[in-house]
Amino acid sequence: MEHAANAVGGLALATAAISAALLIHHLIARPPLTPNTRLRLLLGLGVFPFLTAVSTTASGMHRTTERDFCGSCHVMITHLEDVENPTSPSLASRHARNPMFGGAACYTCHADYSMFGYPLTKLTGVNHVYQYYLNGYRNWSLDRFHAEIRTAKPYPNANCLQCHSGTLSSFTKTAEHRAMAEELAQNRVSCASGGCHGVAHPFSKRPEEL
Amino acid sequence: MMKRLSKLLAWWPVEKAIRVACVLGLLTLALMVAGVILGTPLWVVASMSIAQGLGVAAGLLFAFSVAADAIGKSPKAP
Repeated sequence: MEHAANAVGGLALATAAISAALLIHHLIARPPLTPNTRLRLLLGLGVFPFLTAVSTTASGMHRTTERDFCGSCHVMITHLEDVENPTSPSLASRHARNPMFGGAACYTCHADYSMFGYPLTKLTGVNHVYQYYLNGYRNWSLDRFHAEIRTAKPYPNANCLQCHSGTLSSFTKTAEHRAMAEELAQNRVSCASGGCHGVAHPFSKRPEEL
Repeated sequence: MMKRLSKLLAWWPVEKAIRVACVLGLLTLALMVAGVILGTPLWVVASMSIAQGLGVAAGLLFAFSVAADAIGKSPKAP
């Protein structure tokens, strides 16, 4: 996956360089508008920029799934430090140590997986960028962030069940799972709550929330 | 409507519009490349939104200029 993303990024840079060379040549040489010039401009303003746009979009989409991308806003520093801490007992860190999550740990857990899960997750991400740069979150202290910010909606148990089977006997035979089957199915009780599997990012919660 | 369009095409400053399209195209490419190289949220979002808008504008400007040039050079009906 990483190699594919690098290759796509490389393609973006290569096509952008070719396109830029064609455009700069036109701006400097100012050739007459012959069919050859039109063809060069079609390549420089149409074909190569289109390839650049497609590859930068693919590369950008991949980039937005990376852990250090999510952690690049200062309000996420403690979250990033926790998942990167090999001795942290938090739910998030234990999952991030799994190579299947690895560098995309935030995305793997926080992406919704329904039919429109991918675009809706991306839209939520754009909202985060808006809140950070234009709505003041950038100037918030970490303490204020931890005290005031909570997830916009309850964490969906369906996301946990993407990997953890809810049908195997190890799940269905657990007394707590059986007793709360309906609450779990309707998301009234979260898998990641105190008393169950524990909150994912405990350092960001008030004591009464743990 | 068609009359207005052909008037606009006849008036259209082809060379100048193509130069503007080239500059817009370069701006687009710079933003897209910045998204790949810098990889921070603001640049990535800009490369996938503003840059693509500018790129479409540059492409349309070029297409319109080529159409204006072709119509301007076509033999006039008697």
